Amino acid sequence: MSDWPDQAVDYVQAIHDTKLVLGFRYGQWSLAGPTLEDDIGGSSAAQEEIGHVRQLANELEAQGRDDDWLKGQRDPDEFANAASIDQIDGEWTSYIASIAPADRAAWYLLDAIDQDDLDGLITKMGEDEYFHLEYHDARLETLADEDPETIQQTLEKTLPQALAFIGPAAYDDAEDPLLEAGFTDRSIADIRESFIEHYQNLFADTAVSLDAVDWDAPASEEWDETRRRVDSGSISETELKQIRGEENELFALN
Amino acid sequence: MKYEVFARLNAGDQTTYIGNVTAQSDKLAQMYAHNTFDEEDWDYLAVVRENDVHEVNPDAQPTPEVAPNE
Repeated sequence: MSDWPDQAVDYVQAIHDTKLVLGFRYGQWSLAGPTLEDDIGGSSAAQEEIGHVRQLANELEAQGRDDDWLKGQRDPDEFANAASIDQIDGEWTSYIASIAPADRAAWYLLDAIDQDDLDGLITKMGEDEYFHLEYHDARLETLADEDPETIQQTLEKTLPQALAFIGPAAYDDAEDPLLEAGFTDRSIADIRESFIEHYQNLFADTAVSLDAVDWDAPASEEWDETRRRVDSGSISETELKQIRGEENELFALN
Repeated sequence: MKYEVFARLNAGDQTTYIGNVTAQSDKLAQMYAHNTFDEEDWDYLAVVRENDVHEVNPDAQPTPEVAPNE
């Protein structure tokens, strides 16, 4: 096990935290889908994300991160999850348009990691992520027909948040610190380009217009490189207690 | 739209009918099938639109209009 640069530990921490909160969100909404098949898909994704979290936590512990801290014994503003999943406002359509960009962004960041000892783990996670992302796209396409206004309004907020999670455009082939360090094999600028192209293509022939999306987000000078966002928001303390599972301790067998 | 779901466990096995899903698009039907019928590690999983499934009628009989040399 090699020692990672500090920025790389923060990078993986952000992926870990996003998956932790995604797992929570998938579980939270898994009985709220419009069809039984949607609920089954949500439950499946929840399990997979939490499985990924455990694997990434092992790697982070090996880099010196405290196990209890990783599991949630920290303040909400110490979480580095994608901002689009801090809170889900609205109905199921808004939920899909909030989690889809975060899940895709997290996968692109994970897939960019170029560490031999992580190749197998990332490949396995990719097998799960393929179905998450294809499902999201399939659903976004149908919802673009059913409720284009809600999809558009939600994505105008969540796409810039996902881009902030990926990182600033200034991190190109010449300036990306993790690319320079050899931890990743794609620059943030390159990942951004793929992410943007994907969503523009997905909605090109639909009633959803992405013209109002701020594709240039985040502004470099406002970007928090640890939390990978520009705002000061976070998940709520109430939900963090649920993630920690504190109430479950009341029912623990002695 | 209803989709019939077919699968096989191993290469070379017969493909069997395992159920159906309802979805608004082919892609969504594929994802639903993957998530809904995840009890096995399928070698092959496929969805077919209900309208594209054509049943063979085992009770069909030739009509008088069908001549032997046609």
